[in-house]
This record gives sequence, C-alpha cells and structure tokens, in this order.
Amino acid sequence: MQFFDNTIFPKKVFLTGADCFHLVLDKHAQKNKIGGNVMRKAFYFKENLCKEEVLTILNKSAILYWLCNIEFVPGFLLRKPYWKFLDKSQQIELTIHNEIEIKKIPQSILNRDITINAKKYIEADIVYYNNNTCAFVLSWNHILLDASGTILLVEHINQIINNEKIVTSNFFPTKEPKTNIYKYIKNMYEVKSFVQKSSKAPVSSVYKICQNPTKETKTQIINFNISDTVLINENALKCGARFGPTLFFIAVCMHTINEVQKQRNCESDIWLPVPYDARLAGAKAPIITNNVSFLFYRITQKELGNIAQTIAQLNKQMVHQIKIGMPKKYNIFLNMMRHIPLWLYYFLISKTGEGTFASFLYSSTGSKFEGLQFLFKKEIEDILMIPALTFPPGLTFVFLNNAQKCSINISYATDIIAPHEFHFIENKLKELLLTKNL
Amino acid sequence: MNTDKIIADIKIFIEKNLLSSDIKIDESTDLKQAGIDSFSTVEIILFIERKFGVSIPDEKLLPENFKTISSLSKIVLEQLAQ
Repeated sequence: MQFFDNTIFPKKVFLTGADCFHLVLDKHAQKNKIGGNVMRKAFYFKENLCKEEVLTILNKSAILYWLCNIEFVPGFLLRKPYWKFLDKSQQIELTIHNEIEIKKIPQSILNRDITINAKKYIEADIVYYNNNTCAFVLSWNHILLDASGTILLVEHINQIINNEKIVTSNFFPTKEPKTNIYKYIKNMYEVKSFVQKSSKAPVSSVYKICQNPTKETKTQIINFNISDTVLINENALKCGARFGPTLFFIAVCMHTINEVQKQRNCESDIWLPVPYDARLAGAKAPIITNNVSFLFYRITQKELGNIAQTIAQLNKQMVHQIKIGMPKKYNIFLNMMRHIPLWLYYFLISKTGEGTFASFLYSSTGSKFEGLQFLFKKEIEDILMIPALTFPPGLTFVFLNNAQKCSINISYATDIIAPHEFHFIENKLKELLLTKNL
Repeated sequence: MNTDKIIADIKIFIEKNLLSSDIKIDESTDLKQAGIDSFSTVEIILFIERKFGVSIPDEKLLPENFKTISSLSKIVLEQLAQ
C-alpha cells in the first residue's frame, strides 16, 4: 500500500553533529543501563480524545510516516552516520492506557526504551484518566529530533488538522556548506582547549558512586501559577537577568545544587553546559535532527555568594562566548566529530569533566510552547516534558513555559538524589525563585 | 548619523544573521514575537556596540529597550549624543 508520494522523502539524511552527540549519550545509557536517551512529551486535555480520530490525523502526517520507516546506518571509516529511508509502509502505533491517578504517566510508557536499535524511533500513547480527562504522549529517541523540533512537529500536526498547506521542505535539514579541512582542525584545537579549560578539575558533580544501585529514575514537576510566574520574571530582572529569565533559572539551579553539595561536604566549582536552539529565530525548519549548540558556564564558590553575583558572572561568560563565536565553533567541532568512530568519540567525551559530563544538566530549549493552545482541536490544559536522563550526572532540570505559567520538570536517578535531598531541592528552588522584596 | 540609517543597519543585521528568511519585520515589530530570544538579543547588542562605537550601560539594558528596532535605535541615538 502506497501512503505518500515517496519523491518528497530523501533516501538519506545525515546525522548532525548534535545528533551524533546524542548517539554517544545513547551508547552511554545502554552501557550504564540507567536513564536513557528517550524524550517524552505529554499534552493534557480536559476532555477525552477519540483514538480513531487521533490515529487518522497522525497517519496523514508524511513526516511521522518517514520517522516510522527509517533505519540507522552507522558511520564507517570517515563516512558520517545517516538515516536511511526504507518504504516499509509502517505507521505510527497509538497505544491506549487507563490510569487511576490523574495526570500520572503509566510506568509502561516510562519503562519503554527506544534505543538506536529499536524498530521504530517514535511512539504515541493516549492515557485516559477516571475523571474523563486524558493525555496524549509522544516518546522518541533524542537522536531524531530536539525539543524545538517537537514543537514544530506538533505545529505540523495542527496544520494537518486545519487543512493548511504543508511545506515538506521544512521537514529536513538543508545541505550543509562544505568546511575546509584546515579550518576544521584549527577550530578543533580552539574548541578542545576552551572546553578542557572550562571543565578542568576540580568540578563538583551531583553524581556519586553507589554500592548496590537500584537504577531507578523519577520525574517530578514543580508548577507555578500565573502570578508566581510574574514574580519569577520580575525577580529575574531585579537580579540582573536582563535578556530574559534563563540566566536566573540557571543561577537558581546552581545555588540549589551547591547547597546539596555543601550538605555532602563536597562543594566545588559548578560546571554546566547549557544547550540552546541554534535554528534561526522564527524558523519553521528543520523538524528532523538536533539543532542545538552549547554555552559552557563555570562558576566558582566565590561567585556563588548571591544570585545577582552569579548572574553577573554567567552574563559575562555568555557575552564572552558569543563574542568569540564559541557556539558556532562548537557546532563545527561537533560536525567534525561525526567522522570519527563512535567508540573513539565515546572515549573522548567520557574523559571530559572526569567522566561526569557536568555538575548537573539544565535545559530550557523546549520552552517555546507559548503559542500552542490547541491540539487535535482540543484545548491543551497542560504540557509535561520528561527529559532524557543522562547518567552521570543523573539529575536534569527542564524549565518550561506554557499559558504564561512556568514549570520545572526534574528528572533524577534515585541512587544520586536521596528523597530528603529532593525535598530540599524542591523547597530551595521555590524559595529562590519566589523570593519577595528582592 | 540619523535614525533611519540606524534602523536600516540594525534591520539588515537581524534579517541577515538572526531571523529565518520567511519572517518579515519592520521598525515596530515586537522582536520577541518574531522569535528573537535572549541569546540573539546579546548578538544585537554586540553588533550595535561594534557598528556604532557605543557602549550600552547596564541601566539601559531593559526589556522595553530591546522590544523593537525603533526602541533600539533610540538607545543608540542617546548614546551617540553623549
């Protein structure tokens, strides 16, 4: 059965540098058998969705069809890894679940691992709750698409529903410009030296070696209402986060984790790579592939005196890195790393920061859901993002913004963060974000 | 240096370096609505400092001053006048 005009699909889509970085994280997750490289996004509705209607809409999506009919082809010698389109006529599976606890994502969804060896890299679920509400959950391997790509994918689903014109060229990345080999090598040394200096020991990390690990992971959400969110944004500005609240969020997370480390008597410098969406502003493309770059922040104990002081230092480091073009250089570096064998890439990455990757992980790249109010013609009540939990360090903060309300999704390994520590983290984040009379 | 020239230079920089080609802006477009995030705002400020040889003081780094190209041009003119 022919579902789509195959001429719209490229036979081969090369992984970007950031995709390959996630390939390393996928390998890392498989090796450690904890955490994973699966992203999950849940859209909550106040009324029930009809399975057949949802499935009909999903099956009209050419990009979902492509995603369900690809195979991963690893790199070989200097050849880059790529996705190969195989027209196997596979369609997305939509699984139904019934859950008693309102808003709970069933363990069967959370336990489903979608590795690079999976038959399909994206799956959909509907969870029906007892009070006639439901959640639509998308799960996918992070190598395929990033948080902003998911927003574009959801907008694409809405375009199908509204019979709007679908621009298929938006699905895939455009052809990359060729980079001179000498530029590659010069750039590599520059980036390597910058990252090594930024992450050099001693760096404090929440990661700790456990005897008898349970390898259990959890995701908890802290929700703020509209007036809380207004206060948070005001506090961000008062503390010197003049270009938006992101640096305030990062500083608050750093202070909180530093307090945890103090309780453990192992506080030191905090080192944090922070991803940001590298697509051009307002871009509707590409949906497929990860298009992120990173800024690297290192904050000393001296700079953790108060939030304003930390933000001033973060700001200084951010401006410096933009000035020297480090995010673009880091992207070129990641693109170059695609040509080296995965085992060597893994070895090099796991050496960074003494194998802990970072003090903890932070992301707010998926926070652009402000304009998304409807899906499947139903009003979205809430959005939850369950990030891929990289272990180590085993603790990831994701800040989201939806319907003028801020929320923090915290994923962690219970071997790393004890229950009393999580309780402390939750209270400290709230205290720092919602401080009155700053 | 007049306002029109400042507006034109900032607009060209944003369109050429930061914005997707299908997004159209003018001097009164809300830049945040057009997709300009904090990272891009820093790039605009660095461009302004480089291009017009001015330094924007911290107390002027306020969201209302980066809202539109028009508000950015006012800051540039103020700094040039000093």
